[in-house]
Amino acid sequence: MAASKCTRLTGALSRQLLDSVDSVLFDCDGVIWRGDQAIPGAPDVINSLKKNGKRVFFVTNNSTKTRQMYAEKLGKLGFDASADEVFGTAYCSAVYLKNVCKLDGKVYLIGSNAMRQELEDVGIRPVGVGPDPISGVQKDWANVPLDNEVRAVLVGFDEHFSYMKLNRALQYLCNPDCQFVGTNTDTRLPLEGGKAVPGTGCLLRAVETAAQRQAEVVGKPSNFMFECVAGQFGLDPERCLMVGDRLDTDIMLGSNCGLKTLLTLTGVSTVAEAEANQKSECPHRQKMVPDYYIESIADILPALQA
Amino acid sequence: MACGGGRGCVALRGAQIRDLLDAKHNVLFDCDGVIWNGETAVTGAPEVVSLLKQRGKRVFFVTNNCTRPRENYVQKFSRLGFADVAEEEIFSSAYCSAAYLRDVARLRGKVYVIGCGGVMKELRDAGVPVAEEEDAEPGASIYTCPLDPDVKAVLVGYDENFTFMKLAKACCYLRNSECLFLATDPDPWHPLRGGRVTPGSGSLTAALETASSRKATVIGKPSCFMFDCIASQFGVDPAHSLMIGDRLETDVLFGSNCGLTTVLTLTGVSTLQEALAYRDSQEPQQKNCAPDYVMESVADFLQALED
Repeated sequence: MAASKCTRLTGALSRQLLDSVDSVLFDCDGVIWRGDQAIPGAPDVINSLKKNGKRVFFVTNNSTKTRQMYAEKLGKLGFDASADEVFGTAYCSAVYLKNVCKLDGKVYLIGSNAMRQELEDVGIRPVGVGPDPISGVQKDWANVPLDNEVRAVLVGFDEHFSYMKLNRALQYLCNPDCQFVGTNTDTRLPLEGGKAVPGTGCLLRAVETAAQRQAEVVGKPSNFMFECVAGQFGLDPERCLMVGDRLDTDIMLGSNCGLKTLLTLTGVSTVAEAEANQKSECPHRQKMVPDYYIESIADILPALQA
Repeated sequence: MACGGGRGCVALRGAQIRDLLDAKHNVLFDCDGVIWNGETAVTGAPEVVSLLKQRGKRVFFVTNNCTRPRENYVQKFSRLGFADVAEEEIFSSAYCSAAYLRDVARLRGKVYVIGCGGVMKELRDAGVPVAEEEDAEPGASIYTCPLDPDVKAVLVGYDENFTFMKLAKACCYLRNSECLFLATDPDPWHPLRGGRVTPGSGSLTAALETASSRKATVIGKPSCFMFDCIASQFGVDPAHSLMIGDRLETDVLFGSNCGLTTVLTLTGVSTLQEALAYRDSQEPQQKNCAPDYVMESVADFLQALED
């Protein structure tokens, strides 16, 4: 099995691979765009795939945009895409809380307005979004007023993260019946404009440490991201291709869900890392070996246009 | 070893207490949950401390709580009825972090601090330069943090004014592998009155470790540094020292790590049940969290001291 993996995707193989799948799932950052710039050739690839009768989906751990906001960004960059093809963690967390946690009540949200929007759209009322500076003295903090309709704490990316928010989350999570969900564990935001910024994973670790509890994580590599798409569109895993730039999220998700996997080298992970995983004896690392790799997804274009 | 124990959670009573005290010249006390709870002294604690000193024992206070400078602790001791506790006897994680930067790291440069007033004061008193926190300019974003080129260390501790911006800045400094990474203490949460909790330094350190993919050097218990600090100033011999605490994963583990005899007192965070679970564990690291002795309260020493 290992021998047939981590193969460079060339012209003939591309054609073969594309014929073997009906749906292609793309990660976004480092795969189809970097920050606010499309990867050259990426829009043509996505648009050609659709012309070739393939379904295309976008699966991202980024929680700062709603599906609608992603659709607008995709449109601006020249991709032919609609909101219902986008699965970001703001949307997927809302779906998770609604359908899996069966949340009946409010959620204390450490996250963005986009997350608040997606939650409200599925009928869940979030509390806590926005700046929350400290006030009072230490003995007041354990007695912050709690909303007794809150049944879950959800942590996503929040640039207003503060000690007070961490404290409120802790107070809610002292109740073992309060559910605890995180959007993703990525430690850094993708390089928007070149600077690496701490990611949601850091905020989640702070809350998990204070509360001494582990969150249920919605984002890749959790299967839920694929199940969310598959459930809405009736996908057959064996006829799906996952295209990503990260071995520990995108490729791991693909392996766990039985999808074909393609690593593109325009983002985080390298072929050397993939090959090292392949050589290792560790079953966990074996799941982070792609079936194929390619320099950039633009390299698929010739096979599509043939 | 003069006194058994052997991490066996032995209930300390009667003549055993006297024997233990006879064998130990130095007694180290944790504070929260051991000698006081919030603003209330544990009944009998002030008398115990006083009598120990009268018997010629040396007494030290070793606390992970970095929110106060030592001079504030002196005032608190006095307020709660402990007579004559001197500043030199108090070892807080804030004081020891400053001492580490000055004496061990020999820092030549500034330290970027995520911490509270207590930490800042100890750094200033130790003569360790602190990078100034500029007020957030309008339009300042997490993507553009102005960095001070003189920063050679990052220190993270309890900070009620913790923000994402501070996390991002600290992370930028830590990208330089030469920049030291220190944490005052690993406590994930701190107990407040009535069984309530508040997030601790450990939770902020976890965020920064995750962001930087680096592990902090932890000054506070259970790391030995605070004991090294005491030993370097007072020539304290572990074999003749007793550590009394209420938190198994910090105080007792600290005692084990430093080669001290350990006593768990049940007036604070940890329970007898938790102690026994550690005692019966197969893993060495877990076993080190089991105390040699257990007592209900430090007041139990009174019977041995009052004859």
